Amino acid sequence: MPWGVIFFYLIATVSILSAIGVVAARNPVHSSIFLVLCFLNVAGIFVMLGAEFLAVIQVIVYTGAILVLVLFVLMLVNPDELPSFTDAQPLQRYLGLLLGAVLLLEVGAAIITRTALEGVGEATPENVAAVGGNVHAVGRVLFSDYLLAFEVISIVLTVGILGAIVLAAPERLGEKLATRRGTISLSHTRGTDAELPVGPRGETPIKTDPNRRPPRPEAPRRVIKVTDPDERTTIGGTRR
Amino acid sequence: MAELGIEHFLFLSAALFVIGMTGLLTRRNLLVIFMCVELILTSVNISLVAFGWETNTLNGQIFAIFAISIAAAEAAVGLGIILALSRRIRSVDVADIRELRD
Repeated sequence: MPWGVIFFYLIATVSILSAIGVVAARNPVHSSIFLVLCFLNVAGIFVMLGAEFLAVIQVIVYTGAILVLVLFVLMLVNPDELPSFTDAQPLQRYLGLLLGAVLLLEVGAAIITRTALEGVGEATPENVAAVGGNVHAVGRVLFSDYLLAFEVISIVLTVGILGAIVLAAPERLGEKLATRRGTISLSHTRGTDAELPVGPRGETPIKTDPNRRPPRPEAPRRVIKVTDPDERTTIGGTRR
Repeated sequence: MAELGIEHFLFLSAALFVIGMTGLLTRRNLLVIFMCVELILTSVNISLVAFGWETNTLNGQIFAIFAISIAAAEAAVGLGIILALSRRIRSVDVADIRELRD
């Protein structure tokens, strides 16, 4: 058995096992580390297929950029809110495995019964070596035949960056800060005491904005974090 | 099986695709679902490059480069959405995202 085949089976085995690890790991951090291993093996597969430039891109973009981004988001999301693997519904799990097996059979049948393509192109390994290697050959094709698509990709990436910034920006960023109109009390929420309709010396009640939304009910917490004093106090507020 | 043919790479691609799809169907963590999508995209890249290798063309590699670029943009936007969701509903469980349903 030639060495290429042995290396292929080694790389394929490790990549498939690490892909299973991505799906089966309980901790998402372990999943992302398994994904790094899988992508590095896929880069090895690209080298075996003569696509050295793509292998380098795979390592730089996927394992270098995207997985670091995933790990950053994993650390920004509160870890005790992460659902574990076992909380999937049993029906969902078995149905997913069954559908996966069926799809594997279908794709396998399609691969076996396919008619082989002819070697139509002129990018044989000898020709690619003649123009100076895979990177030169890919560059020539990319900047001649696919130049328009290349430019469109740059626009797509720019719009993607803008969209990511808009989506990930804090919601409070554009809101106008509310001015404080009453005393601060940390003990009760707005609207719980209607006994203070007027001020101590009989001033007119302070009008509250009727369009102002009541504080959004949140999950029960022990520590009350007061960011807006008006949400925690009232003077002459209407009961809501 | 003594010689390395395209079927080897296609079966590897199919296996990675099916594993990714199974994870997509069974997991409920948004981040793991995102990683499964990346796995599926990579498996498709393998078969694109393998077809180009079989037909002695470079188009498969070009397509794979474009797919990786789109995957990078998709990763930025998708992770931004996950971040905004986790800030809004304080969860990354897909079962908790039901604002459109209720």
